[in-house]
Amino acid sequence: MIFKKSKDKEPLPAKPVGQLPHAQEGLSYNEWRNKRRYNHKWRNIRWAVVIGLSLLFMLSFMLDLSILEGSLSGSRLVGFYLIDPFNTLQLLSISSRTGFIALLTMNFWIGLMIIVGFYAIMGGRTYCSWICPYHFIAEWVDKLRGYMEKKYKIKNHTFNRSLRYVFWVGFILLAFATSSLVFEVINPVGIISRALIYGPGLILLWIVALVLFELLYSKRFWCSYVCPIGTTMAMVGKASPMVVQFDYEKCGYCGECQKVCEVPHVLWFTKRGKATQKIHTAGADCTRCGYCVDRCPGKALTYSFKGIDKLT
Amino acid sequence: MNQKSTEISRRNFLKSGAVVAGSLVAIGAGVGIVKTVTGNDVRNKNFLRPPGAAKEKDFVYGCIKCGLCVQICPVHAIRLAGINKGLSYSTPYIDPRSQPCDFSCDSLQCVETCPTGVLDFRQFKHAGTEAIIAYEEERKAERQQQNDSIHGVGMHDGKGPHGADKGYNPFPIQIAAMKEAVRMGTAKLIPETCLAVQGKGFTGTPRDQDFKGVYRSPAPTTTEITEQEGGDRPRRHQQRGNASGEQIYEKQASPLRNKTFARDICNLCVTECPIGEKAIVMSAETMADGTLHYSPQVLDGCTGCGVCVMVCPTAEASIIVLPNN
Repeated sequence: MIFKKSKDKEPLPAKPVGQLPHAQEGLSYNEWRNKRRYNHKWRNIRWAVVIGLSLLFMLSFMLDLSILEGSLSGSRLVGFYLIDPFNTLQLLSISSRTGFIALLTMNFWIGLMIIVGFYAIMGGRTYCSWICPYHFIAEWVDKLRGYMEKKYKIKNHTFNRSLRYVFWVGFILLAFATSSLVFEVINPVGIISRALIYGPGLILLWIVALVLFELLYSKRFWCSYVCPIGTTMAMVGKASPMVVQFDYEKCGYCGECQKVCEVPHVLWFTKRGKATQKIHTAGADCTRCGYCVDRCPGKALTYSFKGIDKLT
Repeated sequence: MNQKSTEISRRNFLKSGAVVAGSLVAIGAGVGIVKTVTGNDVRNKNFLRPPGAAKEKDFVYGCIKCGLCVQICPVHAIRLAGINKGLSYSTPYIDPRSQPCDFSCDSLQCVETCPTGVLDFRQFKHAGTEAIIAYEEERKAERQQQNDSIHGVGMHDGKGPHGADKGYNPFPIQIAAMKEAVRMGTAKLIPETCLAVQGKGFTGTPRDQDFKGVYRSPAPTTTEITEQEGGDRPRRHQQRGNASGEQIYEKQASPLRNKTFARDICNLCVTECPIGEKAIVMSAETMADGTLHYSPQVLDGCTGCGVCVMVCPTAEASIIVLPNN
């Protein structure tokens, strides 16, 4: 909303060199730029959350802890159900034909509300980087890819990002046409989650294939162009108050945020002469992973909760 | 936009479009192939759905593959199917030959826990409520009788229906009724290999030494046979836990490989049934030449739990469970 409007406005003039933060701090540009090169605060916190949650899932079953039961396609956190929204969409599309909808329990609807409500506030695609175990694997694949790109000159093949909306509709239609949860059969999130909890199976070969494809052909293919869970979550978190916020005054146009970001188009305002207002927020595709927050030498990018300053 | 970038964006668009079309067609074709290879319905005698399952065509999509039923099952009878089961991948099943559902759980938690209701609890709730109502009627009648004998006919002691009723406890009856309402499948005897049909007995441990299934003796039923009725029924009370001299009903679970049985005529499927005589009985017919011909008979009360399948001592189980849902 604000995002779209702000992009159409007249851009602010690019700051002259004298006004850039490195000049004001009296550092050389490269010194300033490398200031926070090895800062990984948010990444470490995030990895701890991803691993911790996976462990909690595993131990809940192994040791019968009953804290976080089930898997990422449907679970129960100390008695409260949590239901995946895209699974629900597929289920409802089939149910519309068969009338199964009447059987769905109150727990199911409550679980769906909890998830939709939570991610509507905390930012939809937060799920991707803070919960999804496939994202965690893909991050490591990315690192390896970065190394291989340099060494073996692998080419990256990119596609149009709106592919995922086509896949999103396509998977719902496929579910409707075949009367089965087609996406859940090939969903790496569910597969990895279940493999961790209930033990591995042959289906992990699919994950291997996917990883190899992303490694050798197209970087982050699944997350960027296919995964309808991420697309659904982006829709859910469209108006989320939990955002990455950009402060025009502190930006030094170094472009490091664009390099570390998985979805650089959400940081369009960090380019020289693009920002249209003093404060910008990243759009719905932002996974709130915190790489840019960690990296930004001028601390121009920060986590922020819209409206929290008005409360106090 | 200059000509070059138009060219690039058009190529990019065509490339992207081809990817989507290709992927969706590939997935659709994959689903089609999987459907023809494994079929929509992968149920068989080793693939039962857990209690209360919806019709199979609904089950395949109604199950969101979360595995909550697997986690909550105290006897570890429920498992998730592998990808070899095609579109039933990661849906729950019970293989009664390796570990049946033996109803030693508190209250059919697997059904209660299912978020999508593809394991439908309503039928069991209904059965439980019916049982409570019946139980209350019975208690009321009993108390009325007692009252009549103490205070005289027609008098009332002024207390509620079970206000002073110390023994009032409907829950075991409710839960028993819920479990008896389960219809996962129906047991079917294969008389060609059945030991009882051949008039043979059985001594020893029914399964291999590396068999991992867990055995729990059924709770004693009210219809426990205490006397041998004219020799036409194999005795039931004697053999319970005779190997280690334990009590008749042993609550503790133990691997089946640690159990030994000794029967003149093999009747493990009958004696080990957790439902009891409503589900399976040993029928004995007197033949023309005066000999007895035994045959286990599955009755309407069979829940399809599959304990009989696990304990059957023949190499290939002589009793199987055919799925119902």
